[in-house]
Amino acid sequence: MPAMADMFRLTMLRALFLLAAAMLSPSGALAAGALNIGVQLEPPNLDPTSGAAAAIDEVVYANLFEGLTRINEDGSVSPLLAESWTVSADGRVYDFKLRKGVTFHDGTSFDAEDVVFTLNRAKAPASTNAQRPIFDLIDTVEATASYSVRVTLKEPLGAFTTYLGWGDAVIVASESAATNASHPVGTGPFRFVRWRKGASATLIRNENYWGARPALDRINFIFIPDPTAAFAALMAGDVDGFPNYPAAENLGLIERDDRFKIVTGTGEGEMILAINNGKTPFNDIRVRRALSHAINKEAVIKAGLFGFGTPIGSHFPPHHPSYEDLTARYPYDPAQARRLLTEAGYPNGFKTTLALPPPAYARRGGEVIAAQLKAVGIDVQIRNIEWAQWLDQIFANKSYDLTIVSHTEPLDIDIYAREDYYFQYHSDAFNKVIADLRGENDPANRDAFLREAQKIIAEDAVNVFIASGPKIAVWSKDVTGVWANAPVQANDLTRADVTGRPALAPGEHGTTSLPLWPIFVLIAAAFALVAIFAKASPAFLASRAASMALTLFIASLVIFFLIEIAPGDPASFMMGLNADPAAVEALREELGLNHSLITRYAHWIGGLAMGDFGVSYTYRTPVAELMAERIWVSLPLALLAFAISTAIGVPAGLAAAARREKTSGKSIVAAAQAGVAIPNFWLAILLVMVFAVTLRWFPAGGFPGWDAGLFPAFKALLLPAIALAIPQAAILTQIMRSSTIETLREDYIRTARAKGLTRRETLIGHALRNALIPVLTILGLQFAFLLAGGVIIENVFYLPGLGRMVFQAIAQRDLIVVEGVVMVLVFAVVAIAFLIDLAYAIVDPRLQGSGR
Amino acid sequence: MTALASTLTDTLRSDKSLAAGAGLVAFFILMACLSLAWTPHDVAAIDADARLAAPSISHPFGANHLGRDVFSMIMVGARTSITVAFFAVGIGMGIGVPLGLLAAGTRGVIEDIVMRMSDVVFAFPAIILAILITAVYGPGAVNAVIAIGVFNIPVFARLTRGSALPIRTRGYVMSAKTAGKNRFRISLEHILPNIAPTLIVQATVQFSLAVLAEAALSYVGLGAQPPAPSWGRMLAESQTMVSFAPWLAIFPGLAIFLFVFGLNLLGDGMRRRFDPHRIVGAM
Repeated sequence: MPAMADMFRLTMLRALFLLAAAMLSPSGALAAGALNIGVQLEPPNLDPTSGAAAAIDEVVYANLFEGLTRINEDGSVSPLLAESWTVSADGRVYDFKLRKGVTFHDGTSFDAEDVVFTLNRAKAPASTNAQRPIFDLIDTVEATASYSVRVTLKEPLGAFTTYLGWGDAVIVASESAATNASHPVGTGPFRFVRWRKGASATLIRNENYWGARPALDRINFIFIPDPTAAFAALMAGDVDGFPNYPAAENLGLIERDDRFKIVTGTGEGEMILAINNGKTPFNDIRVRRALSHAINKEAVIKAGLFGFGTPIGSHFPPHHPSYEDLTARYPYDPAQARRLLTEAGYPNGFKTTLALPPPAYARRGGEVIAAQLKAVGIDVQIRNIEWAQWLDQIFANKSYDLTIVSHTEPLDIDIYAREDYYFQYHSDAFNKVIADLRGENDPANRDAFLREAQKIIAEDAVNVFIASGPKIAVWSKDVTGVWANAPVQANDLTRADVTGRPALAPGEHGTTSLPLWPIFVLIAAAFALVAIFAKASPAFLASRAASMALTLFIASLVIFFLIEIAPGDPASFMMGLNADPAAVEALREELGLNHSLITRYAHWIGGLAMGDFGVSYTYRTPVAELMAERIWVSLPLALLAFAISTAIGVPAGLAAAARREKTSGKSIVAAAQAGVAIPNFWLAILLVMVFAVTLRWFPAGGFPGWDAGLFPAFKALLLPAIALAIPQAAILTQIMRSSTIETLREDYIRTARAKGLTRRETLIGHALRNALIPVLTILGLQFAFLLAGGVIIENVFYLPGLGRMVFQAIAQRDLIVVEGVVMVLVFAVVAIAFLIDLAYAIVDPRLQGSGR
Repeated sequence: MTALASTLTDTLRSDKSLAAGAGLVAFFILMACLSLAWTPHDVAAIDADARLAAPSISHPFGANHLGRDVFSMIMVGARTSITVAFFAVGIGMGIGVPLGLLAAGTRGVIEDIVMRMSDVVFAFPAIILAILITAVYGPGAVNAVIAIGVFNIPVFARLTRGSALPIRTRGYVMSAKTAGKNRFRISLEHILPNIAPTLIVQATVQFSLAVLAEAALSYVGLGAQPPAPSWGRMLAESQTMVSFAPWLAIFPGLAIFLFVFGLNLLGDGMRRRFDPHRIVGAM
């Protein structure tokens, strides 16, 4: 009979094993010669020529992929893969002379064919390039020799060589273009090693690079979407810095910390209060002007951007040479705003809505703007929305009144000339200026056109132009050679260095991700074991299995249809803000979104039966593969939390039952009462505050991966596991206690006591086993809860587990991933319930008779 | 009335943890009611001078990054929390109890269907189900109520069925049946009053779970939307400022903790009253 002592021994053994394993593993120190760089948004894929997401360029531009030209830190254009070029007199024909001796990372050589392939691919009808309208201006591309290319434009395009320096125009090879999304192959100084979805992407130095050898051995891009987590990661030393630091409110603290430096550069982002010009009452210019007068930009900058921003008067960044200062056009003047509203026929204001996407500048700035508009009589109702909804409802369907957003593309004032853009603005005068600008090569004339464009949209008060935020980077003191400014959304690290760190051994690589199959084997083994030991009758097994299958089938129906009617179009979300509708349509086709719901369900469920969960919309990787990576975080986390919860809950419950008349027993009850009431995410925040930020004993979050060694991985999981386990342990204590008390009332316990056994002997020898029976159900439920309950905790600690994956996937409208993960979690719950049923059958064979 | 009042005082005097629970719950309910009429500061007002003010006499729990008074926000947040939990449990009971009575009253196919649907809902991890629903239909207090309420339906359906089944065979129900009362009247007049104490205890437990769930949902941004304050969102917003404005994270968390703690004490105390044999035992 298993006694409590045995259980303790088991727990101790487990702990010893973990400790020993931890001691043997390598330390979790930062890899030398490597730069760990924190970025806020994870790229949806790594192919900059097939998606508009700035996050792609932030990883691969200049580091991994190169174009014919490149944009420098000061915004100037210089030759890169093209050594030089000539332009014909009419500005339509470009002759490029290409660099020789360049090879792609896969060993294939770079020549004119690659340029022809790249540009033709970008302008092809099936192209998903986000800047296709620009490539559409290319008439023909031909290789005039092995290293010469002639590009003929349909019309002159002044900034053509600038566009060629954008991430959308990097040169790809025909051999590798199809797989660049998940395994990018370029010509740059760094090559791709690994992308751990939801966690990091790693590049290492390309030893065969044609140009100057970069100083860094390795770059780890670590994806940290949450501002708190960003701060914590910086403090905990998990990252060497953030090129765009997301938590401006902490800058004061960071400034005082001599481990860091703050680098402020000019940003390209214009934060605007976008107005639906096509909708009443905003189609009245007086109303729009009233809005411009009603808003105190300084106050918005203070609250929304924590003071880091410069007011602007048009859609243009102040650092640009062609900037026209129009901030005085609409001074903050609530009285004037009221007059204009009265003039427009709204003396008592009106009701309207303000949609706020997730970034802090929008959410925080939005509350200030709503309060300011209320002051002039406009009753603003705030609506917080996700990016997916923003892209769908506002950007695609123009169904909105007001919204706050930051436009980060450089020199994007031409969006005001786009037909049917979400501003719903149309001005022939403005369109003419932009058309003239396109065909103009002369710098003086271009400058004049740009200034004119700024004036027109300011005069029309298209939007309320609020601020241009600086690019605020935070770096560890020893990081050098990083860009301060960002004329393109990129992190060029070709000149970056980390002083005082030894170089890595050559050829050091990351390992591949852990496979999924051991988990299936584990589950199957658990089923088999229980079935054998239960000596369950085949009829009983069959009936339980059939009922499990039915539950799973209904659950699959519910999941699929509930999710598929969700608002938001994945294709337009993936393509980003300024994407071309044709490209979005091409992507819809590629993803099969145009088929009927029934067809898609049949396809999905058919795949599920074969273990095929489909392909992720955003990552373009099989969902099963993504889950295989994530489950190695979620499962150990749940197991660890389960171990902690059981190790505390079972003995504490027993003790509380045995000593229930004494103070010690009552204190346990009180502690359990308190433990049950603690929200686990609050506990998580408190633990981070104490153990990560103040004491620095544990990392504040993140997961180094199992290949970093058992100890660092274990260390990263411990705080989250404790946060998850404490409330569960409290529940377990309560149940264990009442179950033991029930057991102690049984006659055989009295008999045992009468026989002369001590209380302890009775408790452990007789009561424990029987008291554990009802606890079994709770243990099973708890494990299922811990597996799923990680959703929130994984978000607090930015652990790349299943929970965070489902959350990210919901925000990204990656429906197939959501369906897959939820289905797996449901399967886990149902399977555990099944196992518990079988386990009960061991304990009480009578149960086999009845179906339920 | 006086008899009832004295029973109540006796109960509270004899059971201190029940009294503590009732006191905490009453305190939060009063605070929520008071917030309808009065708060120390206007919760919507943005006060640039008070930005990130530490706790003081005018701001006992400090002020947040917009200069809003944390104490006032917690008062109004109590209202959000109670409202959401109340309606969520209401949905659970309003649908779950009749379903459970129906299942117990008719047995057979209907019972199978009700129990099967309960299994399906139970198979969804509660937080995932809630996130799914709010993600599909958009974040907001109403959808949070629905999401939490849906999970409460099978809880009450099962409990009602389980408690009703043994009562059905009792003598007085049998005699009512022979007297010609139909199933509907039997359920309503005989079974429901008998299982009511069990249901009320469970409702208290579910209420505390709903408060926690609402906090979790609004913590991840899927609960009540701004400017309506909610405890969970206050915690989420405080996170980046925790190292220099810890009061922003401590007080809302404490509010959730104390309210849930109070509800649990109250629920356990009531269970002891209604189900006294549970604490009897010997060793």
